[in-house]
Amino acid sequence: MSTASEKPKVDGVRLAVLSNRLDGVVRSMMHTLLRTGRSGVINTARDFSCCILSGEDELLSAAEAAPLHVLVGPDLIVKRLREVHPELGRGDAFLHNSPYHGNSHAADHCILVPVVDDAGVHRFTVMAKAHQADCGNSLPTTYHMGARDVYEEGALLFDGVKVQADYRDNEDIIRMCRLRMRVPEQWYGDYLALLGAARVGERRMLELGAEVGWEELEEYVGEWFDYSEQLAVEAIRRLPSGRHRATSVHDPFPGIPDGLPVNVEVGIDADAALIEVDLRDNADCLECGLNVTEACAASAALLGVVNSIHEDLAINAGCFRRIRVRLRENCCVGIPVHPVSCSAATTNLADRVTNAVHRAMSEFGDGIGLAELGMALPASIGVVSGVDPRTGEPYVNELFLGVGGGGAGPHSDGWLTIAIPCSGGMILRDSVELDELRHPIRVETQRIVPDTEAAGRWCGSPGVLVEYGPVGASMSLLYAADAAVNPALGVRGGEAGPPAIHRRRLADGSLVDLQPVEELLLADGERVVAQYPGGGGYGPALERDPEAVRRDVREGWISADRAREVYGVALDPDGLVDRDATEALRRALGGSAGS
Amino acid sequence: MRFAVDTGGTFTDLVIDDGAGALRLFKAPTTPADPLDGLLDVFAVAATELGTSRADLLGSGSTLVYGTTRSINAVITGTTARTAFLTTDGHPDILLFREGGRPNPFDYTRAYPPPYVPRSLTFELPGRLDYAGAVVRELDEAALLDVVDRMRRVRVEAVGVCLLWSIVNPAHELRVADVLERELPGVPYTLSHELNPTLREYRRASSTCIDASLKPLMTEHLTQLEERVRAAGFGGTILMSTTNGGTQPVAVVARKPILSLNSGPAMAPVAGRYYAAADSRADTAIVADTGGTTFDVSVVRDGRIPRTRETWLGQQFIGHITGFPSVDVRSVGAGGGSIARVDAGGRLHVGPQSAGADPGPVCFGKGGVAATVTDACVVLGYLDADYFAGGDLRLDATAAEAAIREQVAEPLGIDVSAAAAAVLEVATELMVRAIEDVTLQQGIDPRSGVLVGGGGAAGLNAVAIARRLGCGEVVIPEVGAALSAAGALMSDLSADYAITHSASTARFDAEGVNAAIEQLRSRASEAYDLSAPGVRAELVAEARYPHQVWDIELPVAVERFTSDADVERLKADFHAAHRDLFAVDDRDSDVELLTWRLRVTRVVSDGTPARLASATDARREPRVRLAHFAGAGSVETPVVAFEDLVPDAERVGPLIVESPVTTVVVDPGATIARTASGSLRVVLADRMTTVEPQPGVSA
Repeated sequence: MSTASEKPKVDGVRLAVLSNRLDGVVRSMMHTLLRTGRSGVINTARDFSCCILSGEDELLSAAEAAPLHVLVGPDLIVKRLREVHPELGRGDAFLHNSPYHGNSHAADHCILVPVVDDAGVHRFTVMAKAHQADCGNSLPTTYHMGARDVYEEGALLFDGVKVQADYRDNEDIIRMCRLRMRVPEQWYGDYLALLGAARVGERRMLELGAEVGWEELEEYVGEWFDYSEQLAVEAIRRLPSGRHRATSVHDPFPGIPDGLPVNVEVGIDADAALIEVDLRDNADCLECGLNVTEACAASAALLGVVNSIHEDLAINAGCFRRIRVRLRENCCVGIPVHPVSCSAATTNLADRVTNAVHRAMSEFGDGIGLAELGMALPASIGVVSGVDPRTGEPYVNELFLGVGGGGAGPHSDGWLTIAIPCSGGMILRDSVELDELRHPIRVETQRIVPDTEAAGRWCGSPGVLVEYGPVGASMSLLYAADAAVNPALGVRGGEAGPPAIHRRRLADGSLVDLQPVEELLLADGERVVAQYPGGGGYGPALERDPEAVRRDVREGWISADRAREVYGVALDPDGLVDRDATEALRRALGGSAGS
Repeated sequence: MRFAVDTGGTFTDLVIDDGAGALRLFKAPTTPADPLDGLLDVFAVAATELGTSRADLLGSGSTLVYGTTRSINAVITGTTARTAFLTTDGHPDILLFREGGRPNPFDYTRAYPPPYVPRSLTFELPGRLDYAGAVVRELDEAALLDVVDRMRRVRVEAVGVCLLWSIVNPAHELRVADVLERELPGVPYTLSHELNPTLREYRRASSTCIDASLKPLMTEHLTQLEERVRAAGFGGTILMSTTNGGTQPVAVVARKPILSLNSGPAMAPVAGRYYAAADSRADTAIVADTGGTTFDVSVVRDGRIPRTRETWLGQQFIGHITGFPSVDVRSVGAGGGSIARVDAGGRLHVGPQSAGADPGPVCFGKGGVAATVTDACVVLGYLDADYFAGGDLRLDATAAEAAIREQVAEPLGIDVSAAAAAVLEVATELMVRAIEDVTLQQGIDPRSGVLVGGGGAAGLNAVAIARRLGCGEVVIPEVGAALSAAGALMSDLSADYAITHSASTARFDAEGVNAAIEQLRSRASEAYDLSAPGVRAELVAEARYPHQVWDIELPVAVERFTSDADVERLKADFHAAHRDLFAVDDRDSDVELLTWRLRVTRVVSDGTPARLASATDARREPRVRLAHFAGAGSVETPVVAFEDLVPDAERVGPLIVESPVTTVVVDPGATIARTASGSLRVVLADRMTTVEPQPGVSA
């Protein structure tokens, strides 16, 4: 687009029709992956994403995807494919997970299929990406926090590897994987699910091209990006111009014994309708698995911005023309270079990037921004493995039990089941019964913890307590939780959310504290007791609607004492708001709080 | 004489089958304050038209099948009973957490949805079973009595009981029932293992609590129904059409009121299946029912009514999952009342906001100001301003055109006809997407199907939908305007029997499987003579690869397994089905089978299919009006009456076919004819260009 001021002339009908069609293609891919996957992380938690890229390798559609999987990265991966395979033909499929070439982290396996028309022209690319239950790391976890480098991390890496030609597997690659992945049958089933999703996407795109015409589709793509850009332009013009910095401090962890501040600077130029996020003022790459890949650093920054605007945007490359992210090579939240380890690139420091952007955006004014979201990865979503005593078979899987983490915004309380900030709440939760059937575990408790919510005009989601452990055998459990020391902060006067807390319940019932990062072997009958951290609050607690406080008390989210002491809301014996007493309380509390 | 009544949001439909081969269709306004008034009204309307009294008409009936939106409305408006949820100790938040997920990953303006039963009415019961049903901790009876006491104090009106692993061992739930019977007599309760014995505690708990919450209300409603129709003179059997597309005695529905959710729309595919079979050779029927605010769609494949366990009351992730097996009918917010608007970026949207029946579209002249799909159809010349609802409602064509011009044409910078065509096209696209959602879920190619259009507004874009889907054929049944009620009259024709019996092709237990199949057949034999001509019993297995957790419904080619070859065939069929749906198969893998189902269908006697008796109102003369067609512009279009089309006399579009209850728009080049069953059958001129499916991968 030439200037921001002139509205592009678009075919509004074609936009509506074809954008629905493309979303439909992506949903059919998502559906295929969910229905055919073998590991719980895929067929229950839905920790995967699918998308379509334009012929220019730009993100076109990613309906229902986890944001950090797709916002930036798929574009870089296709560019990489073109470098290593100048000829992309029909029937090809590529396996890719290289963190140095556009992927999120090694545990996310991608299958890419070029959509090639009958004339041999590469028109689009479809991609399916799924978090694996295991990726061949040196430890049975897909997040190797302590890995000093990619060698210690141990994942098998694929850099644009042609796994199919003419719709046939290269069996050599399949055999390599089978020797390296824990529970190879499960891996192979998940590989087929990824491949099926990509092939279903290819099939549907070929049908669409034949029906609509490839030239017409190309025109649409241009218009769709312009339209999406225009929505972003209008939204940004309504924001105030300025620059704000924010820092979100990651907890002490292996590799960062003193913790690590993540700094962002957000600039808004409303006249030019541009937002810039600068991540360059951050530490160099670390000697551990926490480094954030280029794809995730850029996606996390973009996510922080679009989460904070609260307008209808069409999220694709057109929108991103208006949001620039500045990255630096060899930066822990920038562009890491081989052989730096990026095993946990989708979560820890990336969460901090998104959260810091939320806070910087909040500084621009009321109605903008978002509190910090509760951070990953507590034991509630830990990776478990062992041998199932009921069958003698080995198992490995990432559980998705009780999750929380929603931070408050200017319009509502935090969404309870956000889980991992980068997932945008799209990941699903496990069923207790299904988990107990599939693995030798028992889930004793899943509940919200009253009086832990970050108070605010809008509240963060409360802590979520989960207790579980092995039955009939020991079990390995790996987790690494941020937000045990530095919980999710509130914004604009909202309070901080509850921290991650971990304890081990011994066979005699007694509790002992655990570290936020552990490689545990739980004995039969032992339990881990984990609190999933909550999100921060938005605005001062004394501005919360007294009726919302009354509901919170009635529903057991908070106690009547907390209602009085923190929110200045007094309830009468029937549980109704006592208006006069509330007004007096709020005056008194407001005076001491200085508001 | 048999009656079917369907109480919808706007109209109460009555279809009468006189037993001599003729159907009659009547409509009366729904009376929201007491829907039973509307039910008796529509019988009065029918009696007047048939020249008899209401009492005599009712007295001559043998069966009354009742369909209603009463329970779904109660859920939507939050007027169900004050319901408690009894859950396993440690798991009070099953209904709060749900299965996670949300509609939009970037939307932080939307409040998290409240649980179906509030936490303040949720009570934990100490006691725990494991995955095999073994007791880990016994049920704590003292704690149970304490819970009962607390429920009594807060005046609970119904109780849903869902304990972990009750599906494997119901002992604890049964014990709770004993105590509730004794301590809270008269308070209805639902036990999860009885209602919906399915794995995954959120789905089971949700269906249990929804069911319990409907019990007081539906018991009352169905009791009144019975009293009032009996008092009005009906002496036959009263049945209710159910969420799984069958009928059940009202007493059964009162005990399991979750069966009454979706009770009307679930019948549309039953009727659609019949007309697809009568009027078309396609093995896939896409049944679409277009109302004022919603578009309900289902897909019938090989004569099988589609089923799902993923029905949501309201939007996915925001509403509540019923978790209960039901006919797979999806609703989208697209219908005659859907509002069209152009956003800041210049993109046209249609719906989901609807002008509803009140104030309704601009052309209704009842105060509506937002341009709607119906207004677009007036502008396009599809609807006759003087003959809408048989002339009962005069439409304001000038106002409709002004609204489309100001709200759509000018913002888009196109002329008003093109704008109206665009509104209908986007509405069509939403409907196509709803259809594709269903077909995708089942991996069906809609191009091989026939579109069966029901609802008064179906004919306006049924041909356009078919063209977009690439299916070459549209059928509009005579009774299309009351498809659900018509379906209710056909619904005793099929039944579904299920048994859970795990098996694997790795160590195939033919004896056990054959015994399970035999048990299914013997249960079916109680209601059907399986050897009778016209009775078809189809065996399907719910099958999957090891470690998958979602199943495919696989038709089983044999009646019993007698050799290894039978098992190999089953495996090969599964690989093919998996490949067909998901583009891949796993040739070296074994196949697991969990649930076996026997679907029994009794084909309608081929003698004289019931036909709609001739309309009584005066026949309109053929005429011509200007109508707009995409790609052809404004065209002088003949308008004919439904009745004027006769079998074997083909007409070619452009053409508009009208009756007092429906309007069918036939594109230029498409052909239309009446079929022997009375339906209109449209054959599209140009099938969409198609490509051969790409080869998938074989492992």
